[in-house]
This record gives sequence, structure tokens and C-alpha cells, in this order.
Amino acid sequence: MSVGTAAQSAAGPAGALDAERGAAGAGGLPPGFGVDVAGAALALARRFAHGGTLWCFAPAWPAHAHHVAVEFVHPVVVGTRALPAVAVSAEAGVAGLRTLCRAGDALVVVASSEEPAARRALARAPAWGLTTIWIGAGPRPAPGAADHVLWWEGEVPSQAAHTGRFVLSYHLLWELTHVCFEHPGLLEEPQVCSGPACVTCGDEGRLVEVLRLGEGGAVLVRAATGLEWADASLVEGVSPGSLVLVHAGSVLTVLAEGSGE
Amino acid sequence: MRFVDEYRDPAAARALVRRIATLSNGKRFAFMEVCGGHTHTIYRHGIEHLLPDGVELVHGPGCPVCVIPMGRIDDAIAVAEQPGVLFTTFGDMMRVPGSSGSLLDAKARGADVRFVYSPLDALRLAVDNPGREVVFFAVGFETTAPSTAVTLRRAKAEGVSNFSVFCNHVTIVPPIKAILDSPDLRLDGFLGPGHVSTVIGQRPYRFVAEQYGKPLVTAGFEPLDILQAVEMLLVQCAAGRADVENQYTRCVVEEGNPRALAIMAEVFALRPHFEWRGLGFISQSALRLADAYADFDAERRFAVPGVRVADPKACQCGEVLKGVIKPWQCKVFGTACTPETPIGTCMVSSEGACAAYYNFGRLHREAALSVGARA
Repeated sequence: MSVGTAAQSAAGPAGALDAERGAAGAGGLPPGFGVDVAGAALALARRFAHGGTLWCFAPAWPAHAHHVAVEFVHPVVVGTRALPAVAVSAEAGVAGLRTLCRAGDALVVVASSEEPAARRALARAPAWGLTTIWIGAGPRPAPGAADHVLWWEGEVPSQAAHTGRFVLSYHLLWELTHVCFEHPGLLEEPQVCSGPACVTCGDEGRLVEVLRLGEGGAVLVRAATGLEWADASLVEGVSPGSLVLVHAGSVLTVLAEGSGE
Repeated sequence: MRFVDEYRDPAAARALVRRIATLSNGKRFAFMEVCGGHTHTIYRHGIEHLLPDGVELVHGPGCPVCVIPMGRIDDAIAVAEQPGVLFTTFGDMMRVPGSSGSLLDAKARGADVRFVYSPLDALRLAVDNPGREVVFFAVGFETTAPSTAVTLRRAKAEGVSNFSVFCNHVTIVPPIKAILDSPDLRLDGFLGPGHVSTVIGQRPYRFVAEQYGKPLVTAGFEPLDILQAVEMLLVQCAAGRADVENQYTRCVVEEGNPRALAIMAEVFALRPHFEWRGLGFISQSALRLADAYADFDAERRFAVPGVRVADPKACQCGEVLKGVIKPWQCKVFGTACTPETPIGTCMVSSEGACAAYYNFGRLHREAALSVGARA
């Protein structure tokens, strides 16, 4: 008898995805890209429709963050509405995003899957209540790294940043977002839970970010539903910025160490 | 970690389903998901309809609300209706029927029953209401028990004398063993619970492989998690292996949470036996408060009837929990028993197999035909 890990099934969902995406896509787009960008646009339109703001972050290529924001704020097609979008500088980084965003917003990141600041921001975004879209090239990020991944596999990230791949991606995202606004029936958020307190039966574990340490093992955390206090006396190594799982008011496990930001 | 679309990528799901079909190779396999959260995911996303005909998912006893016997609900109501009591519980428990109604009914009759998100909220109520006796109805597996333990330790440290716990915490391993010992066992492996395993780790499951020769894969809660765990089980079956594996590596580590285990050992003691709805009495399968915390034990502080109550005859929750029948094969499913008017506990919680099937799976052709034929 041995105790194995997911590594034994090394291909896993990502490997399965690779196999599934083997066929070429239309119009020079990566295989499956059309479905991906349509899903991302619908999610983004729903966030805008409910008052959300789009935050744009491209730590290695800040011009792309500015470009994404300006596309949404200044629509070039007559009759399309201006949508709230803001570029966040690399200097502001994760700390800036944490301060600016609020639950119900969206985050578009343009970066390779190896970009540390992008990974930190995207790992924390669910705890902040954001919908996330990751545009990039090169090795694909692991499943779950973002809600929606628009990816140019097989391309070198630094080249894709200058060949128009990313620009095409967010132009399509912008255009399709406005297509969604032409169909108001699509913009209602789907109901995802039938009850407010299915804590025990769902074996719930909510992803939250630690904001500060309190007294007696208490920590103030930021969840998608707002700020709350939790007990962290069952785990070690909790600090501001830590990503943790909370169940019934107690921190069960630490998923990522805090950066002290 | 829930509701992340990238874990729901259709392309990846299709590829995994194809791999599952290849691995199953036309043979029949039955895997039990122990956790109610998994059951919810399976029904909500129609996963069982994606799988090949030969691969069946059997829904186990992993919803802690569903396994609470009616007699314990009656005990809770008896405590809640005592003068001066402020009774607290998770929302899941409010609608669970006892022999004379639910806690919600007791609340309607005038009892002060409130739902809380955490036992710490109940303790706060006790501090804020020193003239009231605040009782917390503790329910749940090892995921939830540490939170109750932390609360009790704090209550003791702060000398909060008007707080007590009606303890119904259960443990996950004994029912798995009971199912494995069942003479009508027809399972080929288990999907292990996700967040329970963040506390207890992987080691407690080793007996499943070592003594019973069945594989177990701890799984996460997203559709791709479930499909990958099924694939990992089939890989083991195809190779003739029986190991304990971990698909949910992003949250679960081998040793679990040692601090949580330590505080549980301090605050709780094993009950010699405990009744599980549908499974009967199972030895050492539930927790009571340790003697050092006896002052906080609601069962000692209040008179509770402690009467064992048989389930309604029409209800077949027991067979559902053991995987003997599917929810829609129960005689009262979808007719007398619905989420609005549940007869059995499996219909109460949204993670209960019957409620999950009612909400998400009842339009399945086979089930619809069956219900139609009975009507």
C-alpha cells in the first residue's frame, strides 16, 4: 500500500485539456479560444451589468493594462456604452489591487503563467470576490488559476506581447462583452446555492485572505462576502496576506503564506 | 475554491470522460462518494450522466444532517423549548423533522431558536445575554468539530457559564468501515471527503486499502476534481492496485491539521456507540464532550428525553444512505417528500442525496420515467 498524489495522474485535467485542444482553431485563433472568450465575455458583462468595475493588470507589460482599460472606457463603436475600467500599475501591484477592488468587480490580467505578481493577484482574487480573466501565452496555467483563461499556447510570451496576440484577445473580449449587452436576458447572474448556511453538509471551505491579526488567535479576513473575523488558533504561520480556508468560523488550513503586504 | 469556471472546462471534462470510458472498458464499477458536497457537485453538474453506463456513483452517508436520527432532533427541541434557553444551530438543522416537527416548528411555537454560521457566534450570544442559557446544537464531521472545540476551550477560559453544547459530531471513518462490512457491499472504491481530510489527513483511510483491498481517492469539489478522482480510481482498478491517493492536493496534506486533531482530543471523547440514520448503531462513531468539559455538556445540564424514534415507514433514507437504492426509487420521493415538505433527512439539506437529485437530477430520463410510472 502506498499513499499517492495527483502527480501519479500527471496528465490530470491539464493534460486532458491539452489532448482535447489538439485540433486547430478557426481564423488563426488557438483551438477552443472562441468558446473561452465567449464565456469570459459573458461573465464580464454580468459583472458590469451589476455595477462591477474592471481592473486591468499587466505587471510586465503595463501598456497592455492601459490598452484594455481604454478599450472599455472609450468605446469606438457608436452606441456602445462606456464601461468602468481602470489600469493598475505594476508598482501598485497586489497591494494596490487589494485596496481598490471590491466584491463583484472583475480583474483582467495580461501576463505569462510564470509572472509572480500575476499569480499572487489571481490567487487572492476569489477571496476578494472578483471574476478573473487571464490572457497570456506559453505554458498554460494550472486549472483553477483564473475563472477564465484566454491562452496562446505554443507561443513565447515575450513575443506574443508584441505580435498583437494579446491585443486581439482583449479586442474580442471587449466586442463580445458588448454583444452580451444586446441580450439583457443573459445578464442575470445564475443562482448557485439554494441556502445561506449549508455549512456542514457541504463540507464547506471558503477561501479568504487574512487582513490583520487580532487578539486570542482571531484574524480579520476578507471574503467574497465582505470582512469577517475568524479563529486561526488551529493553524500556524498565518500573517497578513495569507490565503486560508475557513469552515464554520475557524481557519482549517493555510493555502498560501502571506507576503506581509 | 468553489464556483471556478476553469475547473469546469468542458474540453477537459470531455477528455477525462473519454479516458474514464477507456479505462472502464465496458466493465461495471461502483464508487461511493462519502461527502455530501461531492453529491451536490455530481447532481448539480450532471456528472453521473456524463459517465459511461458501467461506472456508477453511489451516494454515501457524508451529509451530517442526513444521518442525525429523529430522536436526537426531538432531544434538541426539548432543550430549545425549556424556559430561558436561546438555542442556536447551523441553518441546515432548522428544517430537519423530528417526530413532532422541526426546530423551525419549535421556533414558530415560541422557542428562541436562531441559526448561526459558527459556534463562536453562539458563544458571543452567550456573552451578550448573560441572563439566558445559550445552547449550540453541534453537528458535523471532523471539518466542523475543531471549530466547536475551539469555542468550548474559549468558553472555559473566559468562564462563560451560560453556554453549553448539544454535541452530535460524528466521525467519518467508522461509517466507511460499517459500509465495507455490509454483507451487500458492491463497491469498488471510494471518493474520500475533501475538507474533512484537511483535518484528519490521509492516514485514517489506509485501512480501506490495506484491510479491504479497495482504493480511495480524496477529491475536491469541482467537476473536474470529481472526474479526475474517478479516473484515478479506475487507473488503480485497471492495475489491480488498492491505494489511498490524494487528488485534492491543493488543500489536503498527508498528516492533516495536527493542531486541530490535538484540540479535538482535548475537548471530545468517543461515544461507545451512536445511532446513524439508516445505518443503525455504529461503534465509536461520534463524539461527546470530554469529562474536563462536562460543565458545558447540554445533555448533562438539561433533561433530554433520549428516546429512540423510528423513521417514518414510508421513508427510505436508510437505503439511500447505504446506496441500496437511488433517491428517485424511494416510494415518497418527489411526491409526499419534497424540499419544501421533507419527510426524510436526505431531502432537507441541499447536499442531501434526495434534495440534490430533486433540485438537479430529477429531469433525468430514467428517473422521470420511473416517477411517472408510479404516479
